[in-house]
Parts: sequence; structure tokens; C-alpha cells
Amino acid sequence: MTSPSLDMPRPSWTGPMASAPMPEDKIGEIIDAVIDAAPECVRKRVLLPAIDWALVPPHKVSLLLSALDQANLAVPRWLAKPLLLAGHTLSGAAGDALAGVLAVLSRLNDAAGEPDEREALAASLDGLAYSSDVDADIAIALVRRLLALSWDDEALRFALSQAQAVPQVLRLAGGAFERHLENLPNVRLRISGSSTTRVLADALRPAFGVEGWRADISESSFGRVIGDLLSPPDDVDALVVLLDAEGLLMTDWRHAVQDVERLAAERADMLGEALQAFSSRASVLLLINTLPVPSGPTVGLLDRRHGVGLRRIIDSLNARILDAAAGSARVHVVDADQALSGLASRDHVDPKLWYYGRIGYSHEATQCFARAFAETWRIVQRGPVKVLAVDFDNTLWGGIYGDDGVDGLACGEDFPGNAFQAFQQECLRLKAQGLLLVALSKNEVGALDVFEKHSGMVLKAEDFAAHAVNWNPKADNLRRIAADLNLGLDSILFLDDSPHEREAMRRLTPEVRVPEMPEDPAERPGWLRRLSATWPARLTAEDASRPAVYAVRRAAQELQARAASFEDYLSALEQRLSLSFVTERTVARTAQMHQRTNQFNLTTVRLGEADISALAEDSTRGIVLLGQVSDRFGDHGLVIAATVNIDGPQATIRTLLMSCRVIGREVERAFLGALVGELASRGVASLRGIYVPTEKNGMVRDFYQSCGFSPAGGAGSGTVWTFAIGDTEPPGSTYVTTSWER
Amino acid sequence: MDTYASATELAYPEISEIFADVFQHAGPLTRGTSPDDVSRWDSLQHIALIRALETTFAVRLSMDEMMEIRSVGDIERVLGRHGV
Repeated sequence: MTSPSLDMPRPSWTGPMASAPMPEDKIGEIIDAVIDAAPECVRKRVLLPAIDWALVPPHKVSLLLSALDQANLAVPRWLAKPLLLAGHTLSGAAGDALAGVLAVLSRLNDAAGEPDEREALAASLDGLAYSSDVDADIAIALVRRLLALSWDDEALRFALSQAQAVPQVLRLAGGAFERHLENLPNVRLRISGSSTTRVLADALRPAFGVEGWRADISESSFGRVIGDLLSPPDDVDALVVLLDAEGLLMTDWRHAVQDVERLAAERADMLGEALQAFSSRASVLLLINTLPVPSGPTVGLLDRRHGVGLRRIIDSLNARILDAAAGSARVHVVDADQALSGLASRDHVDPKLWYYGRIGYSHEATQCFARAFAETWRIVQRGPVKVLAVDFDNTLWGGIYGDDGVDGLACGEDFPGNAFQAFQQECLRLKAQGLLLVALSKNEVGALDVFEKHSGMVLKAEDFAAHAVNWNPKADNLRRIAADLNLGLDSILFLDDSPHEREAMRRLTPEVRVPEMPEDPAERPGWLRRLSATWPARLTAEDASRPAVYAVRRAAQELQARAASFEDYLSALEQRLSLSFVTERTVARTAQMHQRTNQFNLTTVRLGEADISALAEDSTRGIVLLGQVSDRFGDHGLVIAATVNIDGPQATIRTLLMSCRVIGREVERAFLGALVGELASRGVASLRGIYVPTEKNGMVRDFYQSCGFSPAGGAGSGTVWTFAIGDTEPPGSTYVTTSWER
Repeated sequence: MDTYASATELAYPEISEIFADVFQHAGPLTRGTSPDDVSRWDSLQHIALIRALETTFAVRLSMDEMMEIRSVGDIERVLGRHGV
């Protein structure tokens, strides 16, 4: 077994220790004397902090605790923490007074490894897992203790939850973490950089593991970054490029100032051209960082203005990188200033590492970059949550509607209501970026009127795509709303100021994401901005209109409730389907649909922008068909897509998927009919469709059959269907009017 | 804790743990232990060793000290100089 290094000295034993020998020398006598004088030492905060509690047997610690108890003194945190880190348990009143993570550590130190202890402690640990303010040394001690008890699952879960803040815990949980990685989807990464990339390569595997991928990592040759951009690798899923100023610029001050300026400009051009070449040639994704603020200027005060100022040169290099990302769906940028915002700028680089091995960033900065690369990959692959479910009392406003009345609620221009108003603005911002807002409050239904009656509210009742304001359990309400909106529970983020509500939600609906929210309302607006579960990979026009689309859908549902029959309802909808092939403008939305759609999705192949562009490149080999749907209530946007591989008279539907907004309205039949017609005009005689079952797409199991396809056997867990074009009547719908945009 | 018992000879028992972590080296350590005795102690892992020493003992080592460290005895001398 390997025993990793710590940020603190490790006690010489782990666990309860009846056998630890009390030193029988002078030191032991001194410790005895200090314990005798414990109340005085606690009041003055002297001597006790100097004791190495690992040397002190438990019965002496008990003496200490009872002395303090008799003197009516609580055990201060500065004393409790080292005691617990040394493996002791605080029993009696001192133990009862412990809160949060220290209480858990105390119980763990006392645990003998019984199953019932394990169950009780696992629940407490899961609560801690969402909290972001566990000290590094305590997190390490917790993981060590869990491993010592052989509670590997709990150790791993807790380590994964803390890994962002305390990367060492993952190395502690080494074996369990490696087994965890085996079950994750795999991603192949090639690392390239302007300097040594070894430290980054080592940090990426755990960082990707935390985000849910097993990264197979290979390194390019030293300093080959321009070469890798010009001739991109094709045997990996992504090229990860770490740029650093020293390695990229290599300024030679033997030159005159104007020559330095010219050479810097040439380097920026070279990088820009290499990025452009990558965009046009690569079939893989690129993750690349911008350069951070330099720790020292090259032209002092003029650094950002003068042509040879390091800051100015870095600004212009960064502009090239950002241009490349704006121009290509394959390029994704990690912003260094954001990634390194937790570090002081002079900590970005460890100069001795640079001179020793041309390592462009300090260990800490490299860890930050690894996390940011992994986070970017997760956002590009999975996208953000779709729903923000929020509580009312003390979350959207200060105070309790039932107790304080409308006028007693804090939300407005003035302190402290301005913090709540700012939080509402953040909710509106996320709505503008395409998230659906859901109101989830245990309240009388009248609480919904607060948004109209209270002048400080910037949110209005109609901003919510759905609401449940009642006394039922929030988990039940949220399940019902998720079903109504046709969205999975795992696409929901739940914000509530009450720890009990958060705990209940996690317990009853573990799929819903429930972050710990800061207790102080002043911290919350900034916290919500930093919550990466809400960060979009790209913002499309569809995102901006999604909340409006759901409002349209609600109106349609009301029509359905009024219509005499389903057929009456469908004809009253006056649906129009507009068909087009994918273009540069719509490729982002098409990829986004591929990432987001789970239910009406025949193969659930998650094609990215790069795959889709590649497929659309040669229209004799493949097509990407899109459908936009509107009805009398409004425009639903692009909601249905298919990608088809064509091989002479044979064609295969690689992906076919539709947004849940328009499910059950025969749009899919009209769309497939149009696709068949288009393929017929291109000389295709036989069309093949595949259904690959997942946990979520049971609704389309019989889709091909219902559209006139014949079964053609199975493939793995899926079923294969064929359609003889010309011999069989193509599917269609009398409730959908179809038109083409070419 | 088998690696631990042998560490009592050293002034800083944490060094055994660092060697176990950084080099997966579980054998006995003496002041004379050098890169010749530890198979993974190469120039790249040397950086990880320096980093582990810096974080464990809360010191910042200079470039000269980075080069000076060629054995466990060197580590003890450098740490002693930093007042650890």
C-alpha cells in the first residue's frame, strides 16, 4: 500500500489507540502538567497548541475534556481540530458541541467498523460532500480514516466530492479511484504545449475522472504545438494544448525594440494561422488555454500600451485564440484568468521549475488548468442543466411570506433586500440564456402574487415555466413538473436556503442536482455565477427563446384540455414543419440537440458539431436534415433532426431525434416522410433505421414499425428496420403542413 | 506502517512517506539513499519530490537546493537549514 504525502505531518498511528505509549520522560511530565492546567491554558490560549496529540493516550485526553467541562469551558475549535486530526474522539458534552465535518471526524475516529455505524456515517458524509468549505487537512484525515476502516466506497465518494479543492484526496483513495475510472466512458487526449506538458498530463487523468471520464492520455513531443495544430492528430478525441508565455515567445533582446515588436507580431500571426489550419483540417476537438496576466511587465507602466509590452503581446495572442474559437465549432478555450482566479498572479509560475525543466506553470496553476480543461470537456459534451428550480422564502426574497406578509418581505433597491434582488437578476440571466425557471415553494398559493404585489420583485410569475406552490413534499412536486415538461430529473438544479429541504431532495430524488447554497444572501449572486452546472458551451438563438417556447407549449396544453378529441386538437394547432439542411448557422443547435435529447432519440449517438459538419460536407455521402416547427401559438424553433449516411442506393439513419416540446403531435411522421421523399429523389431505394434502447428512449421502440418499416433483425441490444422506398407508402401526417427552405 | 518503523532513524519521518508516495519506494531509507537506490528517482520525478518537500514542510526551496539534493541526507541538511 502506498501512503501519499500530506500537507501536514501525519500522526504516527491512525485510529483509537489504547496501546499508544505515553512518553515516560520529561515531555510526558510536561504534557501532564499542561493537562492539569487545561482551563487556564484554554482561556489564555497557551501551551495546548504546542502539544502533539498523537503522543497522548486517550485517557489523558478524557482527563483534559472533563477538566474543561468542570470549568464550564467549551472545547475551542483551535483545540478540537488538532485533537481530532490526531485520531482522538471527543466524547460527552465536547462531542455534542461539535458541528459539521468535525463531528463526523470525531465519530469516525471512534468507529469500530460495524455495518450500522457505516450506514449512519455514510448519510452524514453525503451531506458533507456538497459543502465546499472542508479544510484540506480535515478532508485528508477523513479519507484516511475511511480507508483504514476499509469503507472504500464512502472514501471514494467523499474524495470525489472534495477533489476540486483538495486534489491529494484522490491519490489517497488511489485503488478505489482506479476501479471507479474503469466504469466511466473513455476519452483519448493528446497533450501538446509550448513547454513541458508532463505535469499537466499527470493532473488531467484525475481531473477528468472527477468529471466522469476515464482519460487515456498521450503526450506529443516537446514544443510541437504549432506542428500539432497544422497537422492535427486523428487517433484521439481531443487535442489539449497548454500555452505559456515564456515558451511561446522566447524574446531575444539583442534585437532593437522595433524588431522585437515585429517578431512578436509574427509569432502571433503564426499561432493564428496554425489555429485556422486546425479549424479547417481537424476532425478532433481542441481544448486550448489563453495566456494569463504576466507576473512581471517588460515595459513597466507602459506594459499594456507599448508594442513590446509583455501584457500587450499576450493580449494580442489571446485575441487570436478567442477569434479561432469564435470561428470554429471544434475550438474550445479555457480562459486562464478565470481558471487561475483562485491564485495570486505571482503563483502562476514557479521560476525554478521553469529553469529546471521548462515547466511553464507552477504545480498549483497546472492543477487549476487541468480542472478547467476537464470542466470544459464536460460542458461541451453534456451541456448545462435545463431547469433551475427555486424556493421562495429566504431564497428569492428575505423573510417568510406566511409570517411577514407581502410588505414585510426584503427585496428591492435597499440593503438587505438588494442582495435578494440581485439573486433574482441572476435567475433572469439564466432564463435569458435558456434555462427554465420552476417555482418550488412550501407556501399558500397566494405567495405567487408576491411577484406582482411587491414592487421590489424583478421576477414575475410568468417568468416561471411551471410552479408548485403548496405543502406537498418538494420532491413529489418536482417529479410531477419534470414529467409535465418532459425533462429528466438529472437536468434539474434545485436551489433552496433550507438544509432540510436540500437533504430531503437529495434523499428522495438523487438525480436532481442540489448544491449547498451559501448561508449569507450577499454571497449568493456571485456564487450562482460561478456554478459551472449552469454554464453553456455555446449560446444559440434557440436557447434564448426556449422559455418562451415552453410558454407556447403551456398554451397548447390548455387548448388540448378544451378540444373535444385529440384529432380536433391536432387540427386546431395548425402545425407547420419547415425543412432545411444543416448550415453553419444551425450546426451549433443541431449538435446541442444531439447532446440534450434523451427520450425521442432512436440511437442516442451524441454527435458533436465537428461530426455534423463532416457529415454534411459531401452531400452525396450524407445529409443532415432539420425541421423547424411552428403552430398557431408560436414558433418552437428547430426541434427535429436526422443524420443519414448514403452509400449509393442504400441509406442508413445514423441519428433521428426530436425535442420533447413537440412529442405526440405527428411532427415526426411528417418529418420522416419528407426525409424518405428527399432520399428517393437522390436515387436511394432502401432506407435502414436502427433503434438502440437506453433507459430513457422506450417511447420510440416501435417508431419505425409504426412508420411502415419492416424488421430486419437485431444488432447488439438494438433492432434494425428497413424501408423499401417506392414500394411502401411513406409516413406522413394530415395535421402538419410541410415546406422546404433550400 | 512497516515503512514507518524504519523511519525512526531519520530526523524527519515524513520523508519515508514522501518516498512511498512520489517514488512508490517502500524499501528502507538511510541518509545515504540516492537516485541509484530508488528506481523512479529520475529528473522528472525529482520535481515531484521537491514539490512534496515544499508542501509537507511548508518551505520554498531554491534552484541551488533543488540541485543540491542528491540523497536523503541532503534533504535533511536542506530542511535543517530552513529551520524545519
